[in-house]
Amino acid sequence: MPTQQVTCPQCHTTVTVTGNVGETVVLICPQCHLKGTATIQGSDATPARTSDGAIVVSNLTKSFNNFIAVKNASFIVRRGEIFGFLGPNGAGKTTTIKAMLDLIHADAGTITINGVDVSIHGKEAKRFVGYLPEKVAFYENLTALQNLMFYAEVKHASQEECSRLISEFGLGDTGKKRVGKFSKGMVQRLGMARALLGSPPILILDEPSGGLDPRGVVLIRDKILEMKKKGTTIFVSSHILSEVQEICDRVAIINRGVIVAQDSVEGLSSKLNLKPLIRVTVDAMSPALEAAVKALPGVHRVTIGGNVLDIICDGAMKAKIILAISTAGGNIQNIQTKEPTLEEVFMRYTEA
Amino acid sequence: MQSTVIVSIAKKEIMDNIRNKWIILVSVMFAILTLVFSYFGSFGGQGWQDLGMTISIMANIVTFLVPIIGLMLGYVAILGEVERGSMNSLLSLSMTRLEIVVGKFLGLAAVLCFTILVGFGAAGLLIAANVSSVDFLEYSLFIGATMMLGLVFLGMAIFFSTVFSKRSTALGGAIFIWFLFQMILPIVFLGMLIATVDISSVVPGSSISVPGWYHGLTLMNPISIYSSFLTLSLGPVASMETSLLIPLPEWYSSGLLVGILVLWILLFFILAAWRFQRQDI
Repeated sequence: MPTQQVTCPQCHTTVTVTGNVGETVVLICPQCHLKGTATIQGSDATPARTSDGAIVVSNLTKSFNNFIAVKNASFIVRRGEIFGFLGPNGAGKTTTIKAMLDLIHADAGTITINGVDVSIHGKEAKRFVGYLPEKVAFYENLTALQNLMFYAEVKHASQEECSRLISEFGLGDTGKKRVGKFSKGMVQRLGMARALLGSPPILILDEPSGGLDPRGVVLIRDKILEMKKKGTTIFVSSHILSEVQEICDRVAIINRGVIVAQDSVEGLSSKLNLKPLIRVTVDAMSPALEAAVKALPGVHRVTIGGNVLDIICDGAMKAKIILAISTAGGNIQNIQTKEPTLEEVFMRYTEA
Repeated sequence: MQSTVIVSIAKKEIMDNIRNKWIILVSVMFAILTLVFSYFGSFGGQGWQDLGMTISIMANIVTFLVPIIGLMLGYVAILGEVERGSMNSLLSLSMTRLEIVVGKFLGLAAVLCFTILVGFGAAGLLIAANVSSVDFLEYSLFIGATMMLGLVFLGMAIFFSTVFSKRSTALGGAIFIWFLFQMILPIVFLGMLIATVDISSVVPGSSISVPGWYHGLTLMNPISIYSSFLTLSLGPVASMETSLLIPLPEWYSSGLLVGILVLWILLFFILAAWRFQRQDI
């Protein structure tokens, strides 16, 4: 029977768990008696072990009336990574996030945060989390500082930290202005400041760039990267795929309530057999040149438009293509490589 | 339960209500009403009435106003945050749903009690300065009972704010509750009484002999309990029962009535906590 090492999130004692692969075992830390669960992972089940997971979602199912919003969703967010969570509108992203925070009650499945089961010990599990909801809201009659001070009290953060975060997010001059008078972008930045209060080891960000101007988007992105450098685990749900591709180590794609893919962007591209595109501009096109390129093994498609060749090929073909064109008498003016984008991956995984 | 979390939520509720001037408005309204009714409210009265007289005049207006204030204060306590979106953030913090309900109830209860205390207290002091006989104990009992009446309706409102998903529906629910306890139940109970008592045998001006079930039923209405408590503790007030010369039964006692008011508060508080615990946000 497989065994697994799990670290207690409270006292960091290592606990050995035994069970069948896929079985969720309830365990109590012998040191501090914290109760939690761990799912036994087989060597071929998933590359990440439960003990690696800052967030472990196992077989989550949630339905509203007769509509199944999330069906058997499982994924692991590893410690210290930025994990992108993608899906079309209504795919089940926000439902999953809400279940992760115990805002909704799952019909089936388990979710652990730092090894603590959210449905059993929600209060303990949420100690590790800073959350930016999709719809950021504050107490509108209170100022930015008064709002943050309220959350700081619960998160045991200081007034100095509140003031520092308000200033870092460009809200230092709001003073006695009530949050009800803030613009959407200001509220979003204050929401990010709230999520960071108390320096939580895990951040759950639902559409962090929503309602922000380009400067705000950069500010939030930089802050996310800064937090990653500090070792924070970051779970991001976003529609801005270019941004996700830029910052995320791995992504999961959910479609119609089902996790359809999870891996790095490169890994997903490779699974889909998506190829890079090499665009070569030559001074003059000739049939010999076209034939030379098409004859290369690893070249899958060649499209010609004037003096430009768009070549879909395997990853390591760039040098061979340049050589073939030169040998065929082509004089290369410009060459560009376009790797498969997350957008292509997303479209392929979420197409009807 | 963690007291620091509860205190934080309660403080936030108080601060929120201070910032929207709610406390000040209602306190001033209570004070002005008390002074106006004390000075002008009694037929044939000359100027200031003493506190006892003021209480009997005020009791009726209190039974109208305080439930409304309790309901208005609480009907969006949970729902408002869910609708606005701030409940997501609140629940993402390291706190339980029970702590949130307790914190909100205590915070709003503090606001309600403070407004009643300041409004009636300030007016009471002003009246006391202008009249010769002053019974502060009676007046304190009146203020205390009024607070309890308000808390019953606050608890109801918080419960309804966990039941409904739209502000407009919750408001409709609160208005219905007010009508139910203010108008519908007393009329229904009286109707039942009239249907079962031989009215022709009642001598004008004398008390009606009322069956025990009627008094049992009236305990289902916190407004009737409040009126009965004031009548029992401070002398007759112009409630529907006393105006129709319905005597209170011997088994009614101040302790029993206060106890039942406490049960009313607890009942809706527990229902609110139970309902919120199961709610998907």
